[in-house]
Amino acid sequence: PRQGSIFYCSVISEAEQPAVIINALIFRLCPFLVGRIQYERMGSDVTMQCGSLDNDASVSWKVNGTDIKARHRLEGPRLLLTQVDLGHNGLYSCFQNPHGERRDTINLRIGTAPREPTVTCRSNTYPKGFYCSWHQQHSTYIPTEFEVDVHHNQRALEVQRDPVHKNRCHVRFPEVFSSFPYRVNVTAINDLGRASAAISFEESNIVKPDPPERVVATPIPNNVRRLEVTWNSPSTWPDVDNFPLKYFLRYRPLIRDQWQHVELSDSTSHTITDAYAGKEYIIQVAAKDTEIGTWSDWSVAVHATPWIEEPKQITSTTEADPVIGGLISLKPVPTAQTMALTITTHKIK
Amino acid sequence: MTKYLEYQLKEIKDTYLSYLGPPFNEKDFSPPRPNTTALSLPSAATRLELWRGLENRARLAQNQRAYSVLLAAVRELARSTLCPYLQTSLLHFCTGLDGLLGSISGLMTTLGYALPPPSAVSVGGSDGELQEPRRDGFWILRELQSWLWRSAKDFNRLKKRLRAH
Repeated sequence: PRQGSIFYCSVISEAEQPAVIINALIFRLCPFLVGRIQYERMGSDVTMQCGSLDNDASVSWKVNGTDIKARHRLEGPRLLLTQVDLGHNGLYSCFQNPHGERRDTINLRIGTAPREPTVTCRSNTYPKGFYCSWHQQHSTYIPTEFEVDVHHNQRALEVQRDPVHKNRCHVRFPEVFSSFPYRVNVTAINDLGRASAAISFEESNIVKPDPPERVVATPIPNNVRRLEVTWNSPSTWPDVDNFPLKYFLRYRPLIRDQWQHVELSDSTSHTITDAYAGKEYIIQVAAKDTEIGTWSDWSVAVHATPWIEEPKQITSTTEADPVIGGLISLKPVPTAQTMALTITTHKIK
Repeated sequence: MTKYLEYQLKEIKDTYLSYLGPPFNEKDFSPPRPNTTALSLPSAATRLELWRGLENRARLAQNQRAYSVLLAAVRELARSTLCPYLQTSLLHFCTGLDGLLGSISGLMTTLGYALPPPSAVSVGGSDGELQEPRRDGFWILRELQSWLWRSAKDFNRLKKRLRAH
């Protein structure tokens, strides 16, 4: 129902829909409510058309319900803005004179065309597959989508988009020990343009495991200079039997800056035998495929102190003779811990 | 042994690529691979499940065959190289490869596996010559690199399986 120039509109959606689809739905049913989106390039001159009115129509405009403060020009049903910037963003509505009926609503969004994205790929689940991530160095300020394609030995591989991370995809290795490089092409697309970036790499170069897990360092009883360190291979590494990892352990006392290093093959434990007695140590482990790729990041640091001998307790012995009218004297004994009670008995004459 | 050869190969490959000059010595350059009639090289690449499921005998046989072919290929490459330093390096490398091949054959015999009959192995055309020495040389060394990497994993798997028995 209409009351003057106030329109009522309600849209009910049954299922959960993305915002874009809801907007499109609302626009179709009640175009004046949401407004069609118009994307324009930053710094350019913009023309907004009021619906499908004739050239001799007379309209007035408002942005977000208020008067337009920016420099502008009116040409019949058209609003002209010059050298637009983000400040021009808004919901522009046009009203036909003389009665002021709203004819159109335009959601003006200023932005830029995308630039070449930066792409990197890595395999932490070798030999199962690898993932690629990309990002834009500069924001485009408007919604931008990405298309990815991956080729290997002249064949296109299937690409799985990450369900959580918008800028990540996953690819399974079609084969292992390949001499052919992989080529990943990422294209950024928005309403104002598109830009691509491609990278090429060999299977062996992108392998980097996740850091080792559950690093535990424990002192060894009766050994003041030893610490036993154990850890697990990263849980993301799928086949540690056929694709074993080697490890790099580093440790130093908290009071020192220099690390000591040990490289270990196919073993998930090591005993440090040259620790300074009584000093707290910080220990980390990294992992690498025994043949290819690069070292993982360092694991979470663990702290441990070698076993320390407990100070000996000094026990005192007292004679249980009955004292009758004897002299009791307190004699301090050298150890700080106990005071020996000396009872001297005197026979009563 | 594979590690030592891998290290040696890397040095030779860098020298060889500089010798070939552009575009071979450019980073990420990969010339089209010749088809198998022009240059038949044993491919180290394999489907993961196939590789995992290889029986000890088949695993060793594949390695043995690969290095037989690659050894002949590197010898041919050495022969067709004009640079004396590179030729010496390649021939020296062949000695190492020959040693590796000998170890594999020896292991096969010890395990009671029959060795394939020594056939005339040639990678090139009918006369054994490389048709396109530069491109072929690139791929011979490339495939050799993949095989040395794969062999390390093959031998590790063999070690574990033989230990289990």
